[in-house]
Amino acid sequence: MYASLVSNRYLTSRLIPVIAVAAVALCVALVITVVSVMSGFLDMLKASGRSIVGDVIVSSGIGGMPYAEELLAELRALPEVAGATPLIDTIGLLRMPYPAGPQKETAHVQVWAVDPASLAGVTDFADDLYWRAPKDAAAADAMAPDDPRRALDPTILEDGKRLLQSSTNTPGIALGMHVSVGNARQRDGSYLPRYGWFMPGLEVTLTVVPVSGKGKIAEPREQIFPVVNEVQTGLFEVDRNRVYIPLQEGQRLLRLDEAPLYDLTADPDASGNYPVIGRTPARVTKLLLRAKPGCSADALRDRVQATYDAFADRIEADRSRTASMPRFVQVLTWEQQLRDLIIPVEKEREMMRVLFSLIYLVCAGLILSIFWAIVVEKTRDIGILRSVGASRTGVMWIFLRYGLIIGTLGSALGVLLAWAIVTNVNPIHEAIGSDAPLAIRVTAWCLASACAVGLCVTALRRKFLPTLLWTLGTIVLSAAALGLTLHHGTLIWDPSIYYFTLVPDKVDWWAAGTTAVGGVLFSVIGSAIPAAKAADIDPVEALRYG
Amino acid sequence: MADLPLLDARDVHKTYRFGALGVEVLRGVNLAVRSGEWLAILGSSGSGKSTLMHLLGGLDRPDAGQGEIHFRGEPISLQPGSALDRYRNRDIGFVFQFYHLLPELNVLENTLLPALVFGARSEGRTAVRQDAEALLGAFGLGHRLTHRPSQLSGGERQRVAIARALINRPAVLLADEPTGNLDAATGAGILDLLAERHKQGLTIVMVTHDHEVAARATRQIRLLNGTTETPDAT
Repeated sequence: MYASLVSNRYLTSRLIPVIAVAAVALCVALVITVVSVMSGFLDMLKASGRSIVGDVIVSSGIGGMPYAEELLAELRALPEVAGATPLIDTIGLLRMPYPAGPQKETAHVQVWAVDPASLAGVTDFADDLYWRAPKDAAAADAMAPDDPRRALDPTILEDGKRLLQSSTNTPGIALGMHVSVGNARQRDGSYLPRYGWFMPGLEVTLTVVPVSGKGKIAEPREQIFPVVNEVQTGLFEVDRNRVYIPLQEGQRLLRLDEAPLYDLTADPDASGNYPVIGRTPARVTKLLLRAKPGCSADALRDRVQATYDAFADRIEADRSRTASMPRFVQVLTWEQQLRDLIIPVEKEREMMRVLFSLIYLVCAGLILSIFWAIVVEKTRDIGILRSVGASRTGVMWIFLRYGLIIGTLGSALGVLLAWAIVTNVNPIHEAIGSDAPLAIRVTAWCLASACAVGLCVTALRRKFLPTLLWTLGTIVLSAAALGLTLHHGTLIWDPSIYYFTLVPDKVDWWAAGTTAVGGVLFSVIGSAIPAAKAADIDPVEALRYG
Repeated sequence: MADLPLLDARDVHKTYRFGALGVEVLRGVNLAVRSGEWLAILGSSGSGKSTLMHLLGGLDRPDAGQGEIHFRGEPISLQPGSALDRYRNRDIGFVFQFYHLLPELNVLENTLLPALVFGARSEGRTAVRQDAEALLGAFGLGHRLTHRPSQLSGGERQRVAIARALINRPAVLLADEPTGNLDAATGAGILDLLAERHKQGLTIVMVTHDHEVAARATRQIRLLNGTTETPDAT
C-alpha cells in the first residue's frame, strides 16, 4: 500500500516521469507507425495482386497454349472454380497522341490481350475502370467543377467493359491510369487531364513483335486503337505499365490466331500455294482462375495442375489434333506469381520491425538512467522507509511499480499517438507535400519572436539556465518558421517506388499490442537495475549521508 | 519475568570498515532499558551514540559474534531481515535530528507511513487514519494535515516525525538528538511532548550531547570511548 502511495507521489510531483512517459510513448508510436504502414502496404499489395490476377495462373511459353477454350470449359466445370479467363501477356510499344505535332511520345507497356467479359469474372477489371459517368446528380455535385467525369456519357463504362468503341464499332484499348502522363492525380484521389490530354476517345498506336514457337522474331506489327477507358488497379506498377486490348486483336497481331496448316512436303499448286491439310488452333499464353469461396488458392492450383496434365495427355493421344499442349507450363497461385513483389516487402517489414525494435533498448536505457538519478536523489527517502519497517523487496517494488506505470502510460499514449498518425497519414502526407498555410507560418514566426523577447529579458537578468533555454527555443522556432516559409512540399511516399498511390492508413493492432507490451516490459527491465540498487542501499548510510 | 529488560544490549561491538581501515566505534557496550523508563545516552560527537541507536532499532547489526541485542528477551541481531523489518515497524519508533520526512507526502501521509507499511489491521483503515488525525491534533497539527513538510517549521516537522514514530504504538521510542536542530524554546516543547508520552507509559531511549536535554530523562548513561558508563551525579 505504501509502495503505491510513494510511487504515485513520485510520479505526480516531478517533471522527470513526464519526460520518461513521453520517451516511451515516442518509441512505441514510432514502432507501431512503421510496422502498421509496412503491414498495410503488404496487405494492399496482396489484396491488389489477387484482384488483378485471380487465384491461380497457368502460364505457358511464348508459343502459347492451343485448345484454350476446350481446356477452359473443363476447368470451369470443376467445383472449385468460380471463373476462368484466357489472355495473352506480351510487351509492346505504345505511341501516345501527345504532344501536338508530328513527334509523339512513346511508352513501353505490358500488353494484356483479354476476353473482357470473362476477365471481369476472375479479376476486378470492370470495377477498376476509372472513367464512368456519375451515378446521379448528387454524385456529380460532389465532384470538382472541372472533373471530366461530370460530363461523361454512360457508354464510356460499357465501352471499357467490352474494349470496344461502340460509336465506331472499333476494337478499343484500355490504358493503365498512369500509362499516360496526362493524368494528374488530385488530393482527393481523382484525376484531371493535364494540358487537356483526356485520353478516352484519343487514338494510340500499339506495336508488338510476334515471336514463333522456336523463339524467332517476326516483323513487328502495329495497330491503331481508340482509348475506350483507363484502369486504376491501385498497384502503381500495373497502372503505369499495363494496357488491355481484345483477345482476338492480340492473337491476330501476335500471329497466335487460328491459321491454315499447309503440307510443305507436297507440291504447290499452280498459284504456288501448298495444299491445306488442316487448321492450327488459336493460342493464349495465360489462363487466370478464380477459386470459389472456401477453396484455397493452393488447393485450386493442385486441381488445375492435375486437370491440365490429364487434358494434355488426351490431346497428345488424339491423332486428329494438329497441335499438342505444351508440357512445361507453370501453374502458380497468385502469391507465387507475385512473389517478386511480395517477398521483398515481407522481408523489408521484418527488417523494419527488428531495426525499430532496437528502440526498446534505447527506451530501457533511458528509463534506467532516469531512475538511477531518482534513486540517487531519493537515497534518504529509502533510508526513511527502511527505518519505518519497509522491506528491501518493498523498496524495490516502489521503483518497479514506478517503471511499470511509466511503461503502461507511455505505451498507452504511444498507441494513441500511433493511431492518430496512422489514421491521418494521408492528410499529413498531403500537408508535408504542400506549402504550409499562412496562419501556421505566422504563428511560428510569432512564437520565435516571443522566444527572442524572453531571451533578451533573461539575458539582461544574467540568468544562465533560462537564457540557455530561451536561446534554444529561439533557434529551434526560428529554424522551424524559416523552414515553413521556404518549404514548398516534399513528396515522401513516391507511388513510383511504393506501388500504391495512397499510404496505408490502418493500424496493425497485433503489432500495436505486441509493441505496447514490449514497451511496458522494457520499461520494467530498465527500472529493475535502479530498483535493485535501491533495495541494496544500507539504511544507516542512507539516513546519515543521504 | 518482571525484571526482564525491554531492550538489552550485551557486550556489543561495532566496527566500520573503510577498505583495509577499520574504525571500532563501539567496544563492548552493555545497556539495559526497562519498560517505562526514559533513558538518555549522553556523548560527544563521534562517540557512537547514533550507531548504538541504529543497533537498538534493528537498522544495523553488531559485529558478528561480538555482542547481542535482545528485545523482550529475544535476540534480534540474529533474526532474518524480514523479522528486523517487522521489529522496526511494530516495536520501535524512530525520531531523528533532521526529522526525515518524505517531502512528497503531506503531514497526514507521512504520519500514516508506518501504518501503511504494517499492512491490513483488524481495526480497519479508517480507524488508523482517525488515530493519525487524533495524534496530530494532540500535537497541535490538526490544521496542517494536508501541508507538505516544506511548508512547516522545524518544530512542526519534528512533531510530525514523533507522530509518525508513535502511529503503530511501538514499545520503544528511539530519539536521536530530537532537539538538535531546534531552538531552545521549540526544543523544550518537543521534550514536553516526549515527557507527556513517557507519563503515559512510553519507553524512550534518547541520545543527545546536551546535558540539559538529558536531564529531562529519568536515567542517564554516558557513552565514552565506545563503552557506557554512568555519569557523575554532579
